Amino acid sequence: MDLTTAPGAPPGEGVFVVELEPFQGPLDLLLHLIREQDINIFDIPIARITEQFLAAIEGMGAERLEDAGSFLEMAATLLRIKLQMLLPRHEGEEEEEDPRAELVRRLLEYEQIREVALRLSAAEADRARRYGKGYIEPRPERTAEEQPLEVTWAEVHAAALTLEGRRPPPTEHRLTARPVSIDEKIKLIIETLARVARIEFRRLIKPWGSRLHAVATLLAGLELVRRHAIAMRQSQPFAELWLYRREESADQREGKDV
Amino acid sequence: MTPVQIVEAILFASDAPLQAEEIAGADESLDEDIVEGAIQELRAEYDELERAFQIYELGAGYQILTRPEFAPYLERFDTVPRPARVSAPALETLAIIAYRQPIGRIEVEFIRGVSSAGVLRTLLDRELIEVVGRDEGIGRPLLYGTTARFLEHFAFRSLEDLPRTDDLPVILRERAPLASVPDGKSGAEETGSEPAAARTEDDGEMMGGNL
Repeated sequence: MDLTTAPGAPPGEGVFVVELEPFQGPLDLLLHLIREQDINIFDIPIARITEQFLAAIEGMGAERLEDAGSFLEMAATLLRIKLQMLLPRHEGEEEEEDPRAELVRRLLEYEQIREVALRLSAAEADRARRYGKGYIEPRPERTAEEQPLEVTWAEVHAAALTLEGRRPPPTEHRLTARPVSIDEKIKLIIETLARVARIEFRRLIKPWGSRLHAVATLLAGLELVRRHAIAMRQSQPFAELWLYRREESADQREGKDV
Repeated sequence: MTPVQIVEAILFASDAPLQAEEIAGADESLDEDIVEGAIQELRAEYDELERAFQIYELGAGYQILTRPEFAPYLERFDTVPRPARVSAPALETLAIIAYRQPIGRIEVEFIRGVSSAGVLRTLLDRELIEVVGRDEGIGRPLLYGTTARFLEHFAFRSLEDLPRTDDLPVILRERAPLASVPDGKSGAEETGSEPAAARTEDDGEMMGGNL
């Protein structure tokens, strides 16, 4: 049949640069090459595609060795087909099987599977838009601006005041609330950390559950950090805030802290 | 209390799909037909009243779910339990298994062109596939099939809901066994022993030519 695969034929125009990462495997890459260049899948110019395929996998790192195996296997298949197509045809044979037939069949099959996978993905997305029953926990309220812990006392104080200002007009109920002193909270933290080496901020304020107590406790904690009496840590915004006992020895051993 | 109300109460309280048979087990006044009838009645009612939810068929079961148009409001709550999406390689593998089950790992890998042991394990862990048997032959390899959870995850009632092959853009005939090498060009006419014979001949000639 056609001998477009003669060795003299130029292997594509220039170098065909392909990123391997997004490809699921050799069939995916092959389909991409074929579709990209509008090639008739039933008449693949095997020499050109083989060149491009080899060029593409050349850049593949050793870290993808497991996958690399499947790409190399395909490369070998392509080379074998190319070779078979170069072999002289023998006299008198009727329709001899095209060496590319098996590959074409696999490609078509793979393409169909991919189409099905796309549809599954669409079905999954559709299903995900319908919610079943489940407990919906209220989202944590947005606090004032998120700030790293390294702020000045004045800034923290100002931020705390802003927080207070954003509240709805205070009800009488709130006005009569027992005033909370920061000194009281400092005492609470020191006493707690005398018993345990570390404590979640959440647990410290749990018995009261009012925002005023939370603010006072936070301010107390920050004050103690400033005095280098304790350490506070939070791995990321909205993560659990921890208060740590700060011991001289431990401090020196670790050599790092807030 | 009417059967419709009982069925509604049970569906309302459940956070997973329930089969008609299971629902019917709740009371002696119920049987599968009555449950199915009640569900149809409730569905019509929810449509008419424009409720934010509906009873959907997932796998062999029924579950009350919110209607899709409310997703934007519910998305804000990231504590709503929702199964993680399936990765692209896993979807590919699921597609193969869904259509070709029962199927072994080797065949899945042949179709995908890449090793798939890890993906299969993930799908097994998520209970989207299961081992349904063993193949004949060397090592009696495990054969996989899809599960009820697979149907639920994609909101299919049954495997019949999968896209039909004749409605896919690329039309393929049934897969031939791995050993044979069918002609991709001229369709299914060339089945039977003829191509195999031709191929043997061919190979002989090739070898002759080379040596």
